[in-house]
Amino acid sequence: MNWTGIALGLFSFGMIGFGFVWVIRMEYHLGYLWWPFPLLLGIVLIGGSLFVGNVGWSALLGIAGASFIWGATEMKEQAVRADLGWFRKKPGARPAPPFVAIIKKIGAPHL
Amino acid sequence: MQLFTSDVSCEDRHSIMHIVGLWMATATFLGIWWGHVGVRWIEARSPDVRLPALVLVIIGLGLNLYSLLSFSLTTSGMCSIFGTTMLWDAFELYRQQKRVIKGHAPAHPSNPRHAAYLAAPNSRATTAELLKREPSDPTVGSVPSSGTMGRIAGSD
Repeated sequence: MNWTGIALGLFSFGMIGFGFVWVIRMEYHLGYLWWPFPLLLGIVLIGGSLFVGNVGWSALLGIAGASFIWGATEMKEQAVRADLGWFRKKPGARPAPPFVAIIKKIGAPHL
Repeated sequence: MQLFTSDVSCEDRHSIMHIVGLWMATATFLGIWWGHVGVRWIEARSPDVRLPALVLVIIGLGLNLYSLLSFSLTTSGMCSIFGTTMLWDAFELYRQQKRVIKGHAPAHPSNPRHAAYLAAPNSRATTAELLKREPSDPTVGSVPSSGTMGRIAGSD
């Protein structure tokens, strides 16, 4: 029996769970306008998965990268949930990310 | 498990590209996408969520079983990722149902189960899609909110 796939499935499940946590924390402390940074991290991880010398690490990096990309698409909805009072909202202004004008112009992606 | 035993030699390390990570990324992203869009779609159209939940459990277990029997890392990994997300989605159908009851997801009056939520006394269910709006600008100060949902983002 091949347990490798099951391990990857569980790792994917764990990364998605971790995604829920960091999306909430990041939106609370920084705000949803920071979404391009986890998106870029995800793209870098998936890009890195192509070049590592081990298929196991390649698989893990691919899964981690996809979960960060998904998290980036979730930040805007999380901000709306906080606006609606379903989640805590940090008082006061939060730091603007680099290139904030461009980020605002692009608009946050969401599923 | 052979997850980390298939190292290539140092000479080959820079000449071989592993696309298995790309496949796993695709499976993970599609699994999450389905978990969001598919679960909402099924819950909105099912008069009873128990049957689709059972179907998702059977498919999830079947995919994980196939993953155990497959010798290909890519096939095995993708099947387990899809299978595990399907198992979670079966549970997620019930969470989506709770969101509709609380008014955190839109109710569809054409669905008899949703119609009953809307008609119930003191109902909080709504047909409004509250999440379809632009968030406030976080770089501008705002009134703090304590939130009512704890810290589990996926619950809403």
